[in-house]
Amino acid sequence: MSRSLVLRSPNDRWSVKLNVRVLLVTLALAVLLAISSVLALASGSHPTSFMDVLGTLANPAQSELALIILEIRLPRVIMAILVGGALGSAGLILQGLVRNPLASPDVIGITSGASAAAVLFLWLGGVTGTSLLLAPVAMGGAFTVALCITALAWQQGISPARLVLVGVGLAAALTAVTTLLLVLSPDSTAMNAYIWLTGSLYASQWHDVTALAPWLVVCWPLALIKLRHLDAQSMGEDMALGLGSALQGHRLLFLVLAVALAGSAVAYAGAVGFIGLIAPHMARRLVTSGHTGLLPIASLIGALILLYADWIGRVAFIPRDLPAGIFVAGIGAPFFVYLLYRLRRDLG
Amino acid sequence: MLRYAGFILVATCLAWAPTASANNSATVVEHAFGKATIHGNPARVVSLYQGATDTAVALGIEPVGVVESWTEKPMYRYLRQDLQEVTYLGLETQPDLERIAWLAPDLIVGASNRHRTIYPLLDRIAPTVIPGNVYDFKALLELMAKATGRVARGKELLTQWQARVEDFRARIQRKLGDQWPQEVAILSFRADHARIYYAGFARSVLDELGFSAPATHRKEGWGIKLTSQESIPAMDAEAVFIFMDDDPAVLRTFDTWSSHPLWKNLQAVRQQDVYQVDPVTWNMGAGIIAANRMLDELYRHYNLEQPDLRECAQC
Amino acid sequence: MLTSLLARTSGTLVCLGLLLVATVSSLVFGHIPVSLDMLAASLMDYDPGSLEHLVVRTERFSRTVTALIVGAGLATAGALMQTLTRNPLASPGILGINAGAMFFVVVGATLFSLTSPSELVWAAFTGAATAAFLVYFLGQQAGRGVSPVRTVLAGVAVTALFVSFAQGLLILNQDRFESILFWLAGSVSGRELEAILPLLPLFCLALLIALLLSRQLNLLGLDDDVIRGLGLRVGQVRLLIGLVVIVLAGTSVAIAGLIGFVGLIVPHIARGIFGTDHRWLLPLSAILGATLLLAADTVARLVIPPQEIPVGVMTALLGAPLFLHLARHVRAVS
Repeated sequence: MSRSLVLRSPNDRWSVKLNVRVLLVTLALAVLLAISSVLALASGSHPTSFMDVLGTLANPAQSELALIILEIRLPRVIMAILVGGALGSAGLILQGLVRNPLASPDVIGITSGASAAAVLFLWLGGVTGTSLLLAPVAMGGAFTVALCITALAWQQGISPARLVLVGVGLAAALTAVTTLLLVLSPDSTAMNAYIWLTGSLYASQWHDVTALAPWLVVCWPLALIKLRHLDAQSMGEDMALGLGSALQGHRLLFLVLAVALAGSAVAYAGAVGFIGLIAPHMARRLVTSGHTGLLPIASLIGALILLYADWIGRVAFIPRDLPAGIFVAGIGAPFFVYLLYRLRRDLG
Repeated sequence: MLRYAGFILVATCLAWAPTASANNSATVVEHAFGKATIHGNPARVVSLYQGATDTAVALGIEPVGVVESWTEKPMYRYLRQDLQEVTYLGLETQPDLERIAWLAPDLIVGASNRHRTIYPLLDRIAPTVIPGNVYDFKALLELMAKATGRVARGKELLTQWQARVEDFRARIQRKLGDQWPQEVAILSFRADHARIYYAGFARSVLDELGFSAPATHRKEGWGIKLTSQESIPAMDAEAVFIFMDDDPAVLRTFDTWSSHPLWKNLQAVRQQDVYQVDPVTWNMGAGIIAANRMLDELYRHYNLEQPDLRECAQC
Repeated sequence: MLTSLLARTSGTLVCLGLLLVATVSSLVFGHIPVSLDMLAASLMDYDPGSLEHLVVRTERFSRTVTALIVGAGLATAGALMQTLTRNPLASPGILGINAGAMFFVVVGATLFSLTSPSELVWAAFTGAATAAFLVYFLGQQAGRGVSPVRTVLAGVAVTALFVSFAQGLLILNQDRFESILFWLAGSVSGRELEAILPLLPLFCLALLIALLLSRQLNLLGLDDDVIRGLGLRVGQVRLLIGLVVIVLAGTSVAIAGLIGFVGLIVPHIARGIFGTDHRWLLPLSAILGATLLLAADTVARLVIPPQEIPVGVMTALLGAPLFLHLARHVRAVS
C-alpha cells in the first residue's frame, strides 16, 4: 500500500488524498525541468554562460544578450515545455480512453489531420510561405478529423477498438493527401512542409507562447479533475457505470480534451511524434498510481523529452538547426523498443 | 501570467534598443511585409537568400553574414572570392537567429517564401526588407540599392543590364532572322523526375531577352514535375535549355530519358538545339550577377560576339 | 459468396476478364491518346516511327507489367498476412513492412549512396524482414489470442518508428530530399524492365510456394493444438509463409515504393466473393490486386495531365473509404 497524505479543508467539506510518492516524483521532475530549462537557456549557437543568463533574467535592460536570451531562446524553451507537456497529457488520456498502451495522438489521426490541413495551407499559400494563420488552420484540421473519427466510430457510443481502427484508416488517407500535396508543391514549400511534418520549434516567439498557453490553462486542470473517471472505466464498463461514471459523456469529454491538447501542441510545433506514446509509459515506470497522479508526471516527462530534443537540435549541428522531431524519435525509439519488449508479458 | 511577462519583456527590449544617433537621414523602404526605417547607410548587411547575396556583392558590399548555398558549399564559386570574411548562418530554410543577432547588422534582407515566420524577430534585430518575389532580380536590386543608400550604383547596374539586353536582342535577331523569336523550353532533371519551368528566374530573363515559350508552357504556376517518359512530348520546343546537378543518379536519369525514342523525336533534339547550362546561375543565383553570367552563356551558345559593355568588376 | 465449382469458375473468368480490360486500359489511356486499333497495330505491325506505337511499346508496356507484378504481389502478401496473423486488418502497409523497407532504402540511398535498383532491392528486403520480425515479436502474447487491434497498433507503432527515422535522414540530407519524394509516394512508371527481370524468378517462386501451401493455409485458421493434431508442422509452415510474404512485399516496395491498401482491401473482396479456401483465394487475390493497381494507375494518369498523381496516393484515396467501412464493423474487441 503506498503511503498517502490526506488534506482536508477546515470545515471538512473537501478532502484530497495525495500519494506521497507521486508528490515526490512530481517535485523532483519539476526541479529537474527548472534546472534543465536554465541550462538550455545558457546554450545556443552563441556562447553564453550560466551567469550571463541569470544576469539577463534579473536585469534585462542592461544586458546586451537580452535579445538572444529573452527573444530567441526563452520563448523556444517555454514552447518546448508547453508542447511536450500537452502531448504527454494527451497521450495519457488517450491511452486510458482506448485502454490500450500503444495508443497515441498520432494513431488516432489527430496529428495527420493537423498535418494535412497545414500542408494544404502551405500549398495554397504558395510563394508567400508560412504565416501566422498556419497554427489555427492546423488546429482546425485536427478538430475536424477528430470529429470525423468520432462520427464514424459512433455506434451507440464510442468503442475504443473502433476508434483506433477508424483513426488508423483516416490517418492513412490523410497521409496520402499530404504526400500528394508535397509532390505537387514547389521545392521551398515542400521543404517548409516537410520540416513542419517532422516537428520543429525553430523561431518560436512570444506570440506563439501566448496563443498556446490558454489551451493548456483550460484543458489541463479540467483533465486533472476528471481523470479519476478513467480509472473507473479501466475496471470495466459495468463497474464504471456502477460507480456513477457517466460513461459516454466522459469518454466524449476525454476525447475532446485529448484532441484539444494534442491538436494545439501539434499546431505550433509541427507533427512531433512519439511523446504522446512514451511519456505516459515512462510515468508508469516511475509510479504506480491512478490517472490523476500520472497526469502531472506524464506532462513533466513529455516536457523534458521535448526540451532535451530541441536542445540537441539547436546545439549539436551548429550552425544548422535541426528539427526537434528527429531527436524525439532518437530518444523515443530505443525506449520504445525496450518498452514493447516489456509489454509483451504485461499486455492482456 | 506568462502573457504579462511577455509584454513586460517586450516593452523592456524596445526601450533598450539603442536610439539612433542624431543622423537625420532616415530612409523608409516599403517592402512585401511592411515598412523598414533605415538610418544612414547600412554597412553591416545580412543576406538570408542567394539573390540578396548576389545583389549585395554587385552593389559593392561584403555582407557580414550570409546563408549557405545549396550546392558548391559553402558558397557558390562565382561569389566565393568576394565573400572571404563572411560568417555563415546555416541553411536558407532555418538561418541561425542567434548568430544574426550577435552580428549586430544594420540591414537584413530575407526571402518572402521562407522567412515570413521569423520576420518579426528579424525586424527587432535590425531593419529588415523582404522583396515580394524571389525571382525578380531587378526589383530586388532597386530595393537593396535604396535600402543601402547605393542608389546610383544600382542605377548603373540596371543601365548596363539594359544595354546588354538590347545588344543581345539585336544580334540574335540578325542571326536567326525570321526564326526569331525562338520558342525555348527550360528543363531540369532530378534523380527521379524531370521538370519543366513555366516561371522563375531563368524564364523571366529569357522572356526579357525576347525568347518566347511554347503555348503549353504559358500556364500558371512555377512549372510541373514529370515522372513518366510518356510526357516527353510536353517538353518540346525549338530550343531547349537543360540544367542539372552533377550527381550520378541525376545523370543516369538524364541518360535514360535522352535515349528514349520520344526524346529523339523532339524538335529541339532533331535541330540539335539542346543546350546544357550552369544550374547555379540559371536556377540558384537569382541576382544581377547571375543574370549577367546567364547572358554570357547565351552569347556563347548562340555564337554571338560580345561587345565589352561591362565596366563593373563583378558583372 | 460463390460456393459451387461452376459458380467459382465463372467468377474467375469474370475476374480475368476485368484484368484484361484493366490491362488494355492501361495500355490505351494516357497523355498521348492511343486508339484500340493503334494498340493492336503496335503489337503486331510495329512501326518505330509512330509516336503511339513507341509509347505503347516502351512506357505503357513497362508500367503495365510493373503494375501487374506489384499489384499481384501486394495482394497475395496481404492475403497471406491476414491468414497468418488471423487478423482481417493485416496488410504490408498497416503492419509496417512497407515502412521498414522504405527506411532501409532511404538509409541505403543517403548513408551508403546506393543507387542501382538491384542494390536497393536487397535493402528493401532487409527492411521488410526487420519490420516483420518486430511486429511479429510485439504481436505475441503469452497464451492469449492475438487481438486485431493490438497487432494493428504494433504495426502502426513500427511504421511510426521507421517513418520518423527516414524523415530525420531526409532532413539531414535536404538536397537528396526531392529526389526520393516520388519514390516514397509510390510509382509504377519508369521502372526499367531489365532491372525487374532479375527479381522475377524469386518472386514467382514465392508465389508458387504460397499456392502449393494452400491446403495448409486453410488449416491455419484453426487453433494451434488442433492443427498439430492434424499432423501439420505449424512452425515450419508459418516460417515459410513469412518468408514468402517478405519476398513478395519487399520486391513490390523495392520496385514501386510505398503503395498501401492493395494488400488490405483486395483479399477482403476476394474472400467476400470466393470464400476462404486458399486454393481460390490466393490466385484471385493476385488477379484482383493486379486489376486494382492497373486501374488506379490509369486513373492517376488522367487526372492532371501531363503530371501524374502518385499511384500510392491513388490507392490510398480509393482504399481508405473501403477500409473505414470495414473498420466500423469490427466487433469491439480490446
